[in-house]
Amino acid sequence: MEIARYNIRNDVFDTYLSVKFELMKHLKNRRLFIVGALAIIIPLIFYVKVPDTAGVFAVNVLTFLNLLIVISAAMFAGDAICGEFEKKTNLLSFPTPQRRSSIFAGKYVAALLATFLVVLLYYVVMTLQIAQLYGWGAIPTELGKSFLTALLFSAAAVSVVFFFSAVLKRSISSTIVGFLFLMVILRVVQQILTRVNQEPWFIVTYSADLITNVLGVSSSLGFGRGEGEPALTAFTPHLGVGIAVMVAYAIVGFAAGMALALRREQ
Amino acid sequence: MEYAIRTENLVKRYSKGFTALDGVSLQIRKGEVVGYVGPNGAGKTTTIKILTGLLKPSSGHAYVNGVDVTVNPREALRTIGALIEVPGVYDYLTPHEMLTYFGKVYRMSGGEIDHRIKETLELVRLSDWEHKKIGTFSTGMERRLIIAKAILHKPDNLILDEPVLGLDPKGIRDVRELIRQFRNEGMTVFLSSHLLGEVAEVCNTVVFLNKGKVVSSDSMDRIGSTMERKVVDVKFLKPLSREEIEKLRAIELVKSVDVNDNAARLLYDGQPVSSVQILRRLVSLNFDVVSYNVETAGLEDYYVSVMGEGKGGN
Repeated sequence: MEIARYNIRNDVFDTYLSVKFELMKHLKNRRLFIVGALAIIIPLIFYVKVPDTAGVFAVNVLTFLNLLIVISAAMFAGDAICGEFEKKTNLLSFPTPQRRSSIFAGKYVAALLATFLVVLLYYVVMTLQIAQLYGWGAIPTELGKSFLTALLFSAAAVSVVFFFSAVLKRSISSTIVGFLFLMVILRVVQQILTRVNQEPWFIVTYSADLITNVLGVSSSLGFGRGEGEPALTAFTPHLGVGIAVMVAYAIVGFAAGMALALRREQ
Repeated sequence: MEYAIRTENLVKRYSKGFTALDGVSLQIRKGEVVGYVGPNGAGKTTTIKILTGLLKPSSGHAYVNGVDVTVNPREALRTIGALIEVPGVYDYLTPHEMLTYFGKVYRMSGGEIDHRIKETLELVRLSDWEHKKIGTFSTGMERRLIIAKAILHKPDNLILDEPVLGLDPKGIRDVRELIRQFRNEGMTVFLSSHLLGEVAEVCNTVVFLNKGKVVSSDSMDRIGSTMERKVVDVKFLKPLSREEIEKLRAIELVKSVDVNDNAARLLYDGQPVSSVQILRRLVSLNFDVVSYNVETAGLEDYYVSVMGEGKGGN
């Protein structure tokens, strides 16, 4: 029992070391700065056309958050597993007294933290904008719920890309495939299902619509359908189901990615 | 006896039926420098990957300091420093940052890490590069940095897989010199290489591997003595006259003489005592001997004799 406790303590410490090392990588190769800069710049674009209410402004700004989360997940988790094998840095890090699971878990957590940081930055900038444009009192009360939903979608997106990183051999492939899967393939499936009047409740990008839906107002940006066209999204994700779907994607993506990574031989 | 590195009937089969290792048993004593020699595809790297926990054997066991690598990798790998193939480096980091991370992985204290980083970088002649980006390093510098990483935690056992692969002659000399230093410090070194010159210079035991099987294993001294060619090469101060050649042929221990200008090759029975007596006789006959060498076959000849002339490998 004592040995088991000792090993768990060691595993936790190794995971912590891996998280720090991976975050240093994201900082050193400027990925964190690039995505962080996007998190600051994108909300600023919405100064161009300021709507009447703070709620509509928030929905307008948050419409682009999904894209930023997917970019962030692809950049931070894309090379988490295959990068080690592709660049052969595994030949340095694996023959050491740490479990591979600790190394990969650390990489996953680092990608998660980096994406959370980007999301937090996005909300902070947006909140400051609302305070400046409409006053502190106008900040929508549901913004916290939206933020938590955004964090859940971040976890799901990171897990999906982490899974592709375990399946594919090259970092560039897993980054692009992860991005396209979340931004194009799932969106297309979602739209096809909607067209045939089936609610795409199991599609994680559909659940991610909760980020804006929880605010209870519509965007004034007006894309999605032209005048006279039928609505593309006839359904609205249910909060409980949406959360469950995002949690499921996060857990299954991470577990499947980890299982494949541990089976991978040199 | 507890060996530094030991394997027992190590077998590694891949899914397509290819057998990379077929019952490899090794016994390496503490402080030994062992060369692991064989053609490409013989199974050298597979053995090393099993010893360092990168691969799991299909059957058999690999022990480091008596600890089974597959059963308790954390404990076994704590006492190993390894350089395997040509690993990638974290080119966005500095040597200090990279080595600090690995120092923490080995649970070294902050002060100890800083001290060992200075010590190891000095040893591999990278002290001036401690805070420069690894991305700017040459191949030789990268390799030396990886060796620094391998010895950072003062391991008992150093496992080197083709450590001079892709290096220029100066880089090869540097790495060879480092291995000699490790040997003198009493470290156990397991060196896989297909460069026989490298092995002959630094190792005291050689294990020959072919098609996943150990085909021969012996000390360098014994290999050297078995490969003596029963020939003495003698150089004289000036070209020999006909009379002097006849005197050489008349020496009773000499079976035949082949003279070329001021050099002669004397065939004898190969016994060390005979070699001494021939030299004494040459001196007593007033030959001006400049050099006297008992000719031995190189490791390459021994390699060919145990591997056969074929290409070998799987």
